Amino acid sequence: MSAKPGEFTVIGRRQPRLDGFEKVSGRAVYTDDIVLPGMLHGRILRSPHPRARIVSIDASRALALPGVKAVISSRDFPDVLFSERQPLFARDTANYIGEEVAAVAAVDAITAEEALHLIDVTWEPLPAATTLREALRNGAPRIHDWAPGNVGPTHEKDYGDPDLGFAESDLVVEDQFRTPMQHNTLTEFHVALADWSKPEKLTVWTPTQSAPMYQQNLAKGLGLTESQVRIVYNNIGGAFTGRGRPKPHHFIAALLSRRTGRPVKIRAAGDEEFIMFRGSGETQYRFRTGVTRDGRIKAIEMDITFDSGGHAEWVMILWLPAAVMNWLYHAKGSRYRGRFILTNSVPKGSHHGGIFGRISAGWMQHMTRVAEAIGMDPAEFHLLNAMDPGDTGLDGTHFASCGLKECIRAVVERSGWKQKYGKLPRYRGIGIGIGAQASGSKGAANDTSAAMVKVDGDGLVTLFTGIPDMGQGSHTVMSMIAAEVLGIEPADVRIVAGDSDVVPFDWGAFSQRGTFMTGNAVKNAAEDARKQLAAVAAQLFGVPESELRFGARRVFPASSPQKALSFAQLVGKTFNSPEGRYVMGRGFFNSPRAFGPLACSFGAQVAEVEVDPATGAVKVLKVTAAHDIGRALNPLGVEGQLDGQVFSGMSQVLYEECKTDDGQVLNPSRLEYKLPRTWELPAVEYILVETIDPYGPFGAKEVGEGPIVVTMAAIASAVANALGVGMVEEIPMTPWRVRAVLDRMPG
Amino acid sequence: MSPKPLLRLTVNGDALELLVSPQQTLLDVIRDQVGLMGTKEGCTTGSCGVCTINNARGEAILSCLTPALEWDGQSITTIEGLERLGDLDAIQKSFVHYHAVQCGFCTPGVIMSAKAVLNRHPRPTDEQINDGMAGVICRCTGHIKVKEAIREAHAFAADPAAKP
Repeated sequence: MSAKPGEFTVIGRRQPRLDGFEKVSGRAVYTDDIVLPGMLHGRILRSPHPRARIVSIDASRALALPGVKAVISSRDFPDVLFSERQPLFARDTANYIGEEVAAVAAVDAITAEEALHLIDVTWEPLPAATTLREALRNGAPRIHDWAPGNVGPTHEKDYGDPDLGFAESDLVVEDQFRTPMQHNTLTEFHVALADWSKPEKLTVWTPTQSAPMYQQNLAKGLGLTESQVRIVYNNIGGAFTGRGRPKPHHFIAALLSRRTGRPVKIRAAGDEEFIMFRGSGETQYRFRTGVTRDGRIKAIEMDITFDSGGHAEWVMILWLPAAVMNWLYHAKGSRYRGRFILTNSVPKGSHHGGIFGRISAGWMQHMTRVAEAIGMDPAEFHLLNAMDPGDTGLDGTHFASCGLKECIRAVVERSGWKQKYGKLPRYRGIGIGIGAQASGSKGAANDTSAAMVKVDGDGLVTLFTGIPDMGQGSHTVMSMIAAEVLGIEPADVRIVAGDSDVVPFDWGAFSQRGTFMTGNAVKNAAEDARKQLAAVAAQLFGVPESELRFGARRVFPASSPQKALSFAQLVGKTFNSPEGRYVMGRGFFNSPRAFGPLACSFGAQVAEVEVDPATGAVKVLKVTAAHDIGRALNPLGVEGQLDGQVFSGMSQVLYEECKTDDGQVLNPSRLEYKLPRTWELPAVEYILVETIDPYGPFGAKEVGEGPIVVTMAAIASAVANALGVGMVEEIPMTPWRVRAVLDRMPG
Repeated sequence: MSPKPLLRLTVNGDALELLVSPQQTLLDVIRDQVGLMGTKEGCTTGSCGVCTINNARGEAILSCLTPALEWDGQSITTIEGLERLGDLDAIQKSFVHYHAVQCGFCTPGVIMSAKAVLNRHPRPTDEQINDGMAGVICRCTGHIKVKEAIREAHAFAADPAAKP
């Protein structure tokens, strides 16, 4: 269901990104490219122990080094909290290797580094528990007083009646799964440049997915009001859920600047990137599903244990699965049990795919096993139980548009599933996965995006938006939306973004909310501006406003296009009217729902793989992906999103793992933490399913993280299929892990 | 402290004389002393390729692993050297056209690696692209559209006479 011919002039066009010239010419400025007058370089002294008491800190030798301007530690700022119950600098005890102990500002990075070695810390090492297994063991050291048994926050939620569902089931299948610690592998390392030389104004230049989140957290921690904190975030070198909240180095750069009265830059140095990040921790899953003999899912259960590291920083990831597990299938009930376990390791957040990618890599293998246990084709099984448009999940999420079944049918047909499933030679495998993703999930009443549009006399438009463009192309899409409404070209819409002092409020680019939430806000703002122009045009043409058409940089009455004024002429006539009207449009969007998403995207993918039985290496041959995105506003950008998520999904299932020993990451570099290289990518085929969501801007939904969840499911299921086992119980499915599965197989 | 040695380096056609420390890499000199910020600092261990520049023979060089002083008397091209007064090089045009750019942080290094491939093979095969691009990681595009842009770059190599 594509746009009817002539329905749109801009929407649906394959639009190259509008910041392309800046980026290919090397002109695009990223945070580390900014050098301010008088700027100092900051470095952080980190705990070398997984758990140890700080007996004393003596910075006198470091302070005496020429070029050192400040040394700070918990002794200077004992009350600055990074998160609830978590001091910014380790106060009495450091709880992981890499925890912040002190920091230096110096005239250059080499001096700052040298000064770190001159800070004398006396440590008293304590017994540590650095993994889930160690932390849950009887007699494990208690890491925090507030967490008996090292169990941190928990979340338990039942929807519908899971007990009844299991009672009505003919068969209950249970599986276990594990995912490792994984890094977000951002190309642009973590970096912050802070200027707090005036007490009432803190400016932080940094890549971020959400300026308000950074403002809120920094303001709270540093005793400022939110708008006293200015966040500047122009070009951003990727995010992949890794830039949702500020990290300790943002606070530390600010405090060093306050102390010295000069701007201070802190950039992750080499393996420090594997400490500053807040990716996924080791996670253990138990999946349980009840079905009837004829293949109907009755009950779904998920039990997840997260390694949250040395602190419980990001509790949201604990809650999310409870709702999301209800978006694919009809069932009588669902049950979720989640818990955070404290360990002496780097605090965790989530990786690309927002935890559900990793869950899905196990859960969809499990669902394939459930189907096979009752003798059903897994594709048929998904289809039988899948949501339809107009359905509501057990958690209350309503799907006004839903192309899940269309996606399943499309990938089954295009991949040749029926000719291949169960009929492939040994060591060749095929797998199917399905998924759903929120187009922005409302977490607070003020989950708002706002936008402003300024219309200038030559017909050029300036759009003010707070949405960060981390590479996903949202600025280009926002220009397209404004251009479509105003009947001009995307290149006529200049973007002003990335400065919280200038742009209106926008929660930002996380929870796949950009296109949906900000897109609606921009559409509203552009419509407001158009209305102001239409009032004048209606008078000029002597027709009602509803008769006016805006398109191809012209405005005209529908009945007499030959009378058209150019857009610039109309703007000129509006401004030069007796009232001197200046056109500025404003708009915002906030979901009418109280909580959760207003729309979800849906997808299905089939992956085909080949396993080399000698080495255990997995080659992904082809990925066929269908995604219900509502409408493709910019198909070129949609394909780019799909490409990146196939790559990243494949990477997480087959390659990525932080190896640790005693709380230390052993492979903290791109040399050892591997990602797929150019020749390892599979053939891809995409089917864009357009269901035209009634709430989305021009019917669009997200495509930012929905696909990766399904890629991970499909590839993991295909490997299990190639090996002829029900589940591969762990990712990444590296050669040695696959070899181990083969070695355990009889014959 | 002994005086810093002199480095004579030609960058994008400009002959420069710079005082550098022995521990400075070519990347440090390009960014901190020459002030060209297009070349990015990534992993600093030669494993991501975002610092890639071209030497005088048009080959790809990892500037983060290269001691600057070894380059005395030589000539290099950085990303800024490809464009002439707003007129992009064919590979740059192809990258924009095929959406081979997303976050853009790796783009300068990826383009300089691609340029090195095209300098040797104006119409590269898949294998030649894979060989030449083995040292770079583009996290956003999964290399899919990057490869397409390299394969099709020749179409943007305009005949100068045909330019408006």
